[in-house]
Amino acid sequence: MPTRTFRARVGVTALVVALVCGLASCSVIPVGMRSIVGENGRKGNPLGDPYARVIAVPPNPDWSAADVVNGFKAAMASVDDPGREVARKYLTDSFARTWNPQSGVTVYRQGEPPTVQIGEKDTRVTLKGTVTALIDQDGRYRPSGGPLNEPFVLVKGQTGWRIDSAPPGLLLSEADAERAYLKVDLYFLDDEEKGLVIDQVRVPIDPASNFAKTTVERLLRGPSSSLKGAVRSAFDGTRLIDVTTEDNRVVVDLTNRVAPELVGPMTAQLAGTLAGLTKGGWGFEVRVRGEPYYTDNPLTVDAQEQTRFDPWMAPGEIYPYYVADDALWLLGKDNTGQPVLGKAGEKDATRTDMAISAHAQVAALFQKGKALSVAPLATGGEWRQWATGKSLAPPCWDRYQTLWTVERPDDHTSRVIRIRDGQRYAVSAPDLDAVHVSLLKVARDGVHVAVVVRDGAGEQVKVGTVIGRGAATRITNLQVVVPVEDKQQIRDIAWKDGKTLYVLTGKSDLLEVSLTGESKSLPSNTGIRNITALEGSLLAGAVDDDKRQILYWTSSKWEPRVKNENGRTDFADQGPAFPAYPLD
Amino acid sequence: MPTQKRRRRTLPQIVRGGRRRARRAVGGVRRVWRRSLQLHVVTSTMVISIVVVAVLGVFLMQSISATILGARDRAARSEAQADRKAVLGYLNKQDGDTSKQSTDPGQGLQPGADSPLGQAVAALAVRAGPAARYSVIVRNENRPGEFYGTTNIDPVSIPPKLREEVLRKSADEDSTQYWNLRYKGRAEPVRGLVIGTRLDTYGTGLDDGYEIYHLIPLEEEEKNLTSVRQMLILVGAALVLLLAAIASLVTRQVVTPVRLARQAAERLAGGHLDERLKVRGEDDLARLAASFNEMATTLALKIHQLEELSHVQRQFVSDVSHELRTPLTTVRMAADLLYDAREDFDPMAARSAELMQNQLNRFESMLADLLEISRYDAGAAELDIEPVDIRDVVLRAVADSEALAERHSTRFDLRLPGDPCMAEMDSRRVERILRNLLFNAIEHGEGRDIVVSVGADRDAVAVAVRDHGVGLKPGEENMVFDRFWRADPSRARTIGGTGLGLAISREDAMLHGGWLQAWGAPGEGSQFRLSLPRAAGAPLRGSPLPLVPPEVEMRRTWRGQMTPVLSPAAADGGRDAD
Repeated sequence: MPTRTFRARVGVTALVVALVCGLASCSVIPVGMRSIVGENGRKGNPLGDPYARVIAVPPNPDWSAADVVNGFKAAMASVDDPGREVARKYLTDSFARTWNPQSGVTVYRQGEPPTVQIGEKDTRVTLKGTVTALIDQDGRYRPSGGPLNEPFVLVKGQTGWRIDSAPPGLLLSEADAERAYLKVDLYFLDDEEKGLVIDQVRVPIDPASNFAKTTVERLLRGPSSSLKGAVRSAFDGTRLIDVTTEDNRVVVDLTNRVAPELVGPMTAQLAGTLAGLTKGGWGFEVRVRGEPYYTDNPLTVDAQEQTRFDPWMAPGEIYPYYVADDALWLLGKDNTGQPVLGKAGEKDATRTDMAISAHAQVAALFQKGKALSVAPLATGGEWRQWATGKSLAPPCWDRYQTLWTVERPDDHTSRVIRIRDGQRYAVSAPDLDAVHVSLLKVARDGVHVAVVVRDGAGEQVKVGTVIGRGAATRITNLQVVVPVEDKQQIRDIAWKDGKTLYVLTGKSDLLEVSLTGESKSLPSNTGIRNITALEGSLLAGAVDDDKRQILYWTSSKWEPRVKNENGRTDFADQGPAFPAYPLD
Repeated sequence: MPTQKRRRRTLPQIVRGGRRRARRAVGGVRRVWRRSLQLHVVTSTMVISIVVVAVLGVFLMQSISATILGARDRAARSEAQADRKAVLGYLNKQDGDTSKQSTDPGQGLQPGADSPLGQAVAALAVRAGPAARYSVIVRNENRPGEFYGTTNIDPVSIPPKLREEVLRKSADEDSTQYWNLRYKGRAEPVRGLVIGTRLDTYGTGLDDGYEIYHLIPLEEEEKNLTSVRQMLILVGAALVLLLAAIASLVTRQVVTPVRLARQAAERLAGGHLDERLKVRGEDDLARLAASFNEMATTLALKIHQLEELSHVQRQFVSDVSHELRTPLTTVRMAADLLYDAREDFDPMAARSAELMQNQLNRFESMLADLLEISRYDAGAAELDIEPVDIRDVVLRAVADSEALAERHSTRFDLRLPGDPCMAEMDSRRVERILRNLLFNAIEHGEGRDIVVSVGADRDAVAVAVRDHGVGLKPGEENMVFDRFWRADPSRARTIGGTGLGLAISREDAMLHGGWLQAWGAPGEGSQFRLSLPRAAGAPLRGSPLPLVPPEVEMRRTWRGQMTPVLSPAAADGGRDAD
């Protein structure tokens, strides 16, 4: 039957064609399908970014003395063994017994190449450079200075050159210190366990661990010496088992639960401390010995828990106050001001140096610094005198609604005063008793305090720690952050946050100083008279040809901020000045 | 130690028991294996497919792993090359910048600023990413302190052999090795690839001692390959099972009809001639069933026809015999008259009357035999059973044969036991059997002695008649019992045998549930043995007398094959001459 054969043949051909087409289109990687939505990598990496590390090698008998010193330097910089056992092999037996690598770290900047002096018995290799910082055992980084010229004394033994004497502790170049240490902000609780205080430390990198674990371990060890006694930790009595990541969460495994009222503070401490690694992109979970924190549900923590716990960690829309026309004004959203309520909003040329609290109160000096009065920023708010003295420093509020000032009976005596609801307490500050404190500002964390101290040579800025409350208040641990220079004047200081301070010098230089001593110079404007700051916002009161204006820093240049009712920024001589954020 | 002793005692038993069980199981399996075509097919399919799948799987696995590892290897090499360039760039730049650097202290703030290699490794660490991608170790043995690693790689991960090779080879030449990589903070090593090279610093003024090692963990690849292998094994096993199932199914389709056909054939063989197969469809098996059914039908028809024919023949013989008797009686009477009056005839007529009388006697006995045998055929023969001493029967039969024996100058040698040999039998029929055997022996005995022996045991009695005549040719032992059979067709019957005697005797023996058997060898004579059960109806299990005479048996065992070869010719001649 020809039709049947023909039909069969057509059918077979069609099948073959369909098969070939099907196989051809069915390639290994399909093309033209709908786009695949993949999740991009999250921000931050709690387990740590890749890093380079120095690997220590034991000394070689063929090396020269300079080579041995180089090898020793590398072995000191190696984080592989915390006990520096390899480094110890570079030392003579007698020196190895006394050498203590834990006794602190000297960070130096190398200048010229090292000098080698060959003596009769020994060879001296001297590194030339400057000491830039010291790192304490507890990781506190303190800028330092001075030349580095202590020599390494080497003697030749049977196994080649060995170091018989060296500078104490570890000696790291700046690059080695960068490599070997992690910069970590540890978050601790203030005295009332309501706020967070940042402790900036360096933590040695442990290759056998991850950054998050190293960081949390350091957090659990407590604050560095600069904050000892001033802060608390919710982690007392518990230890860390491990820190891992799981489902975009950082899981912190502890050995014990904390007291129920400390769960909030603890999570805030964790979130804050790890925020540097997670960059806010990761949540947290706390477990106890691998089990969920609560028997029925896990304890999960928001990525930004620390800002919820302590609103001053990330203040939202907070508007600055300023003085215009001898009255206190509040700068509104549209950058136009309006006088505040109460007496403070009325024109009064006798008051100076106003400070605004977090609870709608304003403090100001009267009678050229002889009286200190406070007025509520409310309708009918009257000035009430809180303190009098011979020469009072500009007042400053802290987060506990206490007012700070310094009474200076003469140029060589200062008494720090803390006033709460009119009750006046003397603050013990032995370091400040015999100097002239021209300005004192408590940071918004309530623990850090910056003071401008004047002595014969000029003014310098120191940062210290507030310990205790009421009559037991002390200021300790004062460290110089802006050293004195010849005839230097400090015009104003302002806390940016708990770890950075803006300093305005008499020559209108503006510095951004961190508590660990690294200072950065910002472009300034010669007309700037005073400054105030709150997190990312930096305002300055400037005078330009008797025209007053408030400038703000746009991270590249200064711009006028306040507009008048016409929307213009040029004011006459009674224009806006003395900007002040609350708690500044 | 008591436990050990006990164990020593019981262990062989356990082993033996196990071996026994195993043997039984093996035997069972072998039986099933021999009987099942389906099992054959499924097993061979499985074996072949396992081999094919295994070969394919190994090949596939090898090519997949070669592809995956090769791709990783190539990528790693190109990355290593790029990294080397980057390192060289850093070293070169820094080399040129050293003079500037000392005057520019601001640069010292940057990480790794004081060591060009440190900077390079920091850059490499960023390029390498997390340790799960790859790690880099850079060292220069000529410059103490220049030994860097990225993240948490442990420097023991560099195989010593590879390092030797790197140092031996010229710069910029890769050496690779698969090795266990170790990381700080991880207890277990990870399988990985190590690529080592010496930096090619030709023309840059740097020393050429920079060794760069790239350590690429192949954890992911290993995981992938393991899962691919698992998948292959799973798929292969599934494929083999599937093929076995298909083979089993297909064979079942073929084997089931064959099995049914076998059962039908068995039933057919068992006599169920109406057994038929079901015919389904038109395939080969259906045609086989149809042919089978056709065969069965034809067979049944033929058997039926043959039965009919046989019945008709038997009836015909019986009828003819009966019909012949009436005329024969008349002929007989006339012949008797003539015979009685033969004295009065002339010698010729008298001789004719004698001849007629003789042949009539013979005719009559033949007719009687025919009637007897047709009775057997019709199944109408009945036994008249009584307990009889077989010796008496033998003596009677011998006495009946004396006259004939004398004529042939033959003597009987009777070997009878002293005790009576009682058995339940129809003595008349047994006597007839013995008479037949004796006549037969006399006829073929050539005048030699005839030995008649009687034997008995608990269950049976037996009589053996032995002659020493020409004997039987091989194969004639059974033919002697056929109706009208002659050893030599050309030979005439001398003693009026009807040719039915032995046939009737055998029927008689079988009617008693006994045996009538013959033995004979050319030149040795022959022996016929009748064995009967002592109790009528009891099955016969053996005979008290041997079928082969004992002296012949003994000679055979002594002389082996000599006698049977030599004697037949002489024996044949002897019989022919008779």
